[in-house]
Amino acid sequence: MIARRDLSSLSREKTIVLALVIQLFVAAFSSFLVVGLTSLYDPSSVESDGIAIGVTGDASQALFEAVAETEGVRPVAFDSPSDARRAFDAGRVNAVLTGQYAATPNGDGKILQVTATAPEGSIRTTLVVVQLRTVLKTLERNERFERANSLERVPLTLPPEADASPYFSFTYTVLIPLLLFLPPFISGSVAVDTVTEEIERGTLELLRVAPVSLLDIVDGKSLAMVALAPAQAALWLLLLSLNGISVANPLALLVFVSAMAAIVVVFGVVLGLQMGRRRPAQLLYSVLTLVVFGAAILLPEHPATTTAKLAVDSPTLLTYGHVGGYVALAVALFAITRRYVDRIEPESL
Amino acid sequence: MIDARDLRKEYGDFVAVEGSTFSVDQGEVFGVIGPNGAGKTTTLKMLSGLLEPTGGEVSVAGYDVTDTEMRQQLGFLPEASPLYEEMTPKSYLRFFADLYDVPESVATERMHDTLDELELEHRDRKLGDMSKGMKRKVAIARSLINDPDVLLYDEPASGLDPLTTNYVIEFTQQLAEEGKTIVFSAHNLYHVETICDRVAIMNEGRIVARGDLDELQDEYGQREYHVYTTVEVPDAVQENGHWRRVVDSMDGVDSVREAATERGGGVLDIRTEESSLEEVFLNVAESETPGTRYVEDA
Amino acid sequence: MNLRKLLRIARWEVTKNAGGVDKRTIAIMGLAVVAMVAVAAVAVAGGASGLDSGLYRVGIEESSPYYAPAADDPAFLVREPSTLAVARGNQELRFEGTELRNRPVTQKEKAALGEFRSSVDSYNSRQMASEDNQTAAYPVAVSLVYLEQRGVTDTVQTSDRQSSSDGSSGSASGDGSTDGSGSNGSDRTGGSTGATPTGSDGGTASGGLSGLGAGLTGGAASGTPSDIQPPFPFESLVLAFLFIVPMNFVIQAYGSTMLSERLNRRGELLLVSPVSRFDIIAGKTVPYLLGAMGVITAITLGLRLSGLTAGGGPVAILAVMPLALLFLSATFCGAMFARSFKELTFVTVTVTVSLTSYAFVPAIFTDVTPIALISPLTIVVRDLQGQAISLTDFAFSTTPPTLTALVLFGLGAGLYREEDMFTQRALPLKMLDALSGRIKSKWSALKLSALLLPFVFVAELAAVALLFALGEVSIPLVLVAVVVIEEIAKSIHLYAGFASGRYRRSLRAAVAVGALSGLGFFLAEKFVAIIQLVQLDDINTGEAAFITGTPPDGVSPLLVTLLLLAPLALHAVTAMVSSLGARRNRRSYAVAVLLAMGIHFAYNYTVVVTLVQ
Repeated sequence: MIARRDLSSLSREKTIVLALVIQLFVAAFSSFLVVGLTSLYDPSSVESDGIAIGVTGDASQALFEAVAETEGVRPVAFDSPSDARRAFDAGRVNAVLTGQYAATPNGDGKILQVTATAPEGSIRTTLVVVQLRTVLKTLERNERFERANSLERVPLTLPPEADASPYFSFTYTVLIPLLLFLPPFISGSVAVDTVTEEIERGTLELLRVAPVSLLDIVDGKSLAMVALAPAQAALWLLLLSLNGISVANPLALLVFVSAMAAIVVVFGVVLGLQMGRRRPAQLLYSVLTLVVFGAAILLPEHPATTTAKLAVDSPTLLTYGHVGGYVALAVALFAITRRYVDRIEPESL
Repeated sequence: MIDARDLRKEYGDFVAVEGSTFSVDQGEVFGVIGPNGAGKTTTLKMLSGLLEPTGGEVSVAGYDVTDTEMRQQLGFLPEASPLYEEMTPKSYLRFFADLYDVPESVATERMHDTLDELELEHRDRKLGDMSKGMKRKVAIARSLINDPDVLLYDEPASGLDPLTTNYVIEFTQQLAEEGKTIVFSAHNLYHVETICDRVAIMNEGRIVARGDLDELQDEYGQREYHVYTTVEVPDAVQENGHWRRVVDSMDGVDSVREAATERGGGVLDIRTEESSLEEVFLNVAESETPGTRYVEDA
Repeated sequence: MNLRKLLRIARWEVTKNAGGVDKRTIAIMGLAVVAMVAVAAVAVAGGASGLDSGLYRVGIEESSPYYAPAADDPAFLVREPSTLAVARGNQELRFEGTELRNRPVTQKEKAALGEFRSSVDSYNSRQMASEDNQTAAYPVAVSLVYLEQRGVTDTVQTSDRQSSSDGSSGSASGDGSTDGSGSNGSDRTGGSTGATPTGSDGGTASGGLSGLGAGLTGGAASGTPSDIQPPFPFESLVLAFLFIVPMNFVIQAYGSTMLSERLNRRGELLLVSPVSRFDIIAGKTVPYLLGAMGVITAITLGLRLSGLTAGGGPVAILAVMPLALLFLSATFCGAMFARSFKELTFVTVTVTVSLTSYAFVPAIFTDVTPIALISPLTIVVRDLQGQAISLTDFAFSTTPPTLTALVLFGLGAGLYREEDMFTQRALPLKMLDALSGRIKSKWSALKLSALLLPFVFVAELAAVALLFALGEVSIPLVLVAVVVIEEIAKSIHLYAGFASGRYRRSLRAAVAVGALSGLGFFLAEKFVAIIQLVQLDDINTGEAAFITGTPPDGVSPLLVTLLLLAPLALHAVTAMVSSLGARRNRRSYAVAVLLAMGIHFAYNYTVVVTLVQ
């Protein structure tokens, strides 16, 4: 009854629409951040002939080979550093590598001294530097193999390159957990609001005149809030799959989200009843929820990891164990809270 | 002390108050009565400067109401007195004393005097933990903390139990005797009758009648005579072994007396019942038409 | 404004809440903070696994050289290699020795391979670190130098404004026009703008973030290729985050206190006391502003004293102030609009998210482009890096948010009165109320258009910041954004005025207020030609956004005059179109605004196409 009233009042106030819009915004914002940032690095975002790197100096041969080995960049050899510098100034090359062999201070061999010149203040600077690093690491690897005799352990050859989506890991370890945890978090926050608002406005007293107990009221309110979270989560999963991001184990994920929602809503309700006023209750709610969420890193599996493993379809027994644990915890907390609420004297609020 | 001329307040298309003209003298208790939605609260808020009138002029204690200085002379008690629940009466009153520039020593003394008079104990308990009556007392004490000349009390006794209500009404009366100018709104007419010198009756945003109680009585009220007889007379009702007939004039009383004598009985007792303000009010409301008669023209 | 009363209200706001938030809450908060630190310490100490742990399953025998790197990386679960498991999708990669035996097909398999490659790479680095012969282990030493490419036009200039304005003289209009799009660049002077040799002392390739880079990542100082840090704003991100997070807690408390004034008419008694509402608002805001600034100061000092950052001082703290004001003013407005705590929660989240993105996104590009200056956070990050900040940069960064904050406070204050504070009206209606409350006569149209300009400014800058990364495509997009923002700003208050009956609905009145609104907007836009000082129009998108504000150089005085008057005509005409629609009803207003946007877009597009190229 009261659950229905709360739900209908929510939808009437259009706040639920607002909530969804905000979550969409948060998701868009974080995706934008990542997509935007990765595009700063993504070699395919520049013109097809790639980044031209001028190589010069004693070690220009080694540099040339290293550049040639790397995808997305092409080497241009120069006889003298000043030629290279002129070409750089004119924009014919995007970066210059000057290499000299030099003796090490302790004299136990020769070291390759490279001066890398990158354009300053260009939008492409980041990308150029990233590519320079890749080239120089290739160079380093090549040099190491040449000196393998002096090394106790020869470096492993790298597995082949993969044209993997740069967003894959982000999508599953950050974006999906974020989308799935936001609804429970907001539900808990709204639970704090509804309880404290009734207390502050004094409408709890009016409700009590009706033939319902405080327990009914709290039950109704919290169930409404708990029910809302998996519904929103389901919506997100649907949207993600429409966007071509497949999410495995949707049922297990929704059970997980429901358990999470139950835990935070119960927490919010208790805080609301205990504090009676919104400001301290809401403050404690957000701080403590964040701390507990952070502290969950001490668990064998962080909730975000559990979500990621379920969503990417790499769940282990441990993953399912965690989900079961959260469900058990949610049920237990709900039961304890009901007993606690039942004992509260409504007059004391 | 208070001068309102042709006050008007509109909210969009809705006219909450129009054509309100009245004045209140120093030391007078002026009652504003009317049903819910009549415009009483809006009128009081315009007097307090809380609401800016859409039209007309109003001055309080010689100040224009938009002047913040005016508020220094004013004690306002809203209908529901919301308090800062987390404060104690002491800190709450100090807070307002501070806003009204009352020196701390004066404020402390005034606070304790008022709270003593109001018989409020527990001055260090949180307001949120107090009963409605106690909260109302704190609110009244707050309205007096700056020792104002003019008090605007909106339904001071609403929502209180009868005992506290009487207490609050008596206290208000006492304030009037001390020389405060009080504008007082109520829909419980008994209170108004008890303490008001003059009243204005409002309905649907207009003052439909005003004057002192006697004048209103004469204009709208009725005097009834309850004549108790030993024998049955026409239109009488039997009551505890005798008959009672209600008439509205002395002529009526005479005719009942004659009728009783004719039937071999006599008159036991005659009681005069004046109609209460409530009945006056109902009469006004019934006869209320645009262009109302004014009892007293300002 | 009465400072004494303002401070009294501020003092009581603090003491009142000291009573409100009781000792128990403070104790719990204290414990929570301690717990947070403890958790952070544990996480940093490596006692916890990463978020991606166990994401991929790889089949590798124990004898394979790849076994060790896979076992070291928590992202991988090492299994017995099994073709069956691969077929079932239970193993993403299968190795025999160091040979990959399955061809990655799915996104997940490809991602696993990419991840494994970098995992092996970092395994190699760890191996090399323990080598005795460090010369053989690290045969390459790098120093990274940043140099400006003088002959390249797409280079974004980060030099001081003064140095370029002497290039090809100012404009005839005296409007501070710039010398085209920086084609002849500028002569760099001084060491700070010249080459920045770094690298040999390690990790300093990130353009001044050295101290922090070393501090936060714990990286040792050596100049190997792996030490190269692209000017990636990781540190900027962390710093920005550090400065933004406290704001969110402050506004939560601030929103609560403001809304609870409105619940049960609590605020009525303050309004009837001899204190003006501006004193009340300011008095209730000051403690939260001071609180926020206190925390910011503590963070800045903490970063400085612990040696995590190279700089950080009054400039950084001052630069955060407009942001703090913006957060508070937006929350204040929200608290005036919200009808319940529930709504307030949503308002707070919206404020948090949108302002965080406004402050955050541009700051990411701190080391890349001057567009980053749109956000005051950029100033903060630069100051923390120990870079010098010019006064114009500071003004450019902080003025728009400060003005916006003031306008927001002004709009909210318009609702801070008995009639609006305690009524429960729907959000859009309240918004219109806030605007129509400011309307006194038809000249108010001029005033409101001018007042809303800071909003327009911040919104347009944010649009530029969000869209510039897209390259050439972004110009039309920016144009659309600009047109939408400007036309709404010019006409929304006209609609509010007509809807509330403050303007007469006659044809004449509609034309008059429309023209005035356009004029107000034009004047304000000219007045805020500050954008010129920073030469944002070096970037094409920036130029496109402010096309009506800045006549290009190199044209005859007659044309300049024409170009000056053309925007005025444009603004007046489009505002009149909207005004004519607004005087009827909502639907015709919507249609008229769309039409106005169309006209505006056509104008801007023509100007961009004909003049900018």
